[in-house]
Amino acid sequence: MAFDKEGFLRDLDDWTPEVAAQIATGEGIQLTPAHWEVLNLLRTYYAQYDASPAMRPLVKYCTLKLGIEKGKSIYLLGLFPGSPAKIGSKIAGLPKPDNCL
Amino acid sequence: MSAAEKKRSLVVMRQSPYGGSLARASVDLALAMGAFEQNYDLLFMGAGVLQLVTGQDSQKIGAKNIGRILTSLPLYDMESVYVDAAALDRYGLNEADLVLPVSLLDESGLRSFLNDADHLVGC
Amino acid sequence: MNYTLLVLSSPTSGHSAQTAAKFAHSVIARGHSIERIFFLDEGTTNGSRAAVFPQDEADKLQPWTLLADEHGVELVLCIASALKHGMLDETEADRYARAGATVHPAFIISGWAN
Repeated sequence: MAFDKEGFLRDLDDWTPEVAAQIATGEGIQLTPAHWEVLNLLRTYYAQYDASPAMRPLVKYCTLKLGIEKGKSIYLLGLFPGSPAKIGSKIAGLPKPDNCL
Repeated sequence: MSAAEKKRSLVVMRQSPYGGSLARASVDLALAMGAFEQNYDLLFMGAGVLQLVTGQDSQKIGAKNIGRILTSLPLYDMESVYVDAAALDRYGLNEADLVLPVSLLDESGLRSFLNDADHLVGC
Repeated sequence: MNYTLLVLSSPTSGHSAQTAAKFAHSVIARGHSIERIFFLDEGTTNGSRAAVFPQDEADKLQPWTLLADEHGVELVLCIASALKHGMLDETEADRYARAGATVHPAFIISGWAN
């Protein structure tokens, strides 16, 4: 599997759930069903909008799809500490962000 | 920043979606502003209205789908965008052909809308 | 008055970018201030430290670097545009395993909101 020096997949087609677990481990995260719920949502978001989400739209998207309890920054930060949109996208196999979001 | 101090910015899109790289760069800019909760309105003028047309397929030119990216604007709490009605008319389009709900501005509406913005970002 | 400029044109496509730099210098000379100049799309190529201009033509880089060095104007290249145009600082060159920085150190690469 080819990763760049920051741990992003070089070829997004190589992504599988196993690869996701591997990337997550590199980030110090053990994937649970709660993580997968958000990871799947990230992949749906990308397929729908042709873009990786920033934090603000991700929170709102979670509210719409998973309910108000999970549509909160604090909930996402608990799953993906630091930068949920960025780390979640990385694990979900979305393109490396080319911006500061 | 308090609400009173908050200036209203207006981002104006005038480029067709795939004729150059500026349309995409402007969309990125608008989303980045939205991500940081800046207060702004989005106005599509001239060829810029083509960015909003439904059913765009940019896959074969290896570019992102600007129409689809724009449909994510409600997630930035932007429920509606402003559109130059004359331009829409010129391209034979109407509101039903667009990916988002829009507020139409006629010539005089457009003029005062541009005038009232505190900051203007013309792309 | 405090100005912020947005530059969209490259130094070689017409004279828009040059005019913008001249405008910035004039504004400052008249006692106004410019906090930041933001470069988007092709405008990011104004930050190239590698471009070579003919000796008998205007230097397209110096007017910008002077603004930063003498007047403390922040010259910000939009990161998404900069990357596409090969405009990299040391950090980005390293991140994307490219040979070296192409952006003049008077400029910074950043997002809109930073």
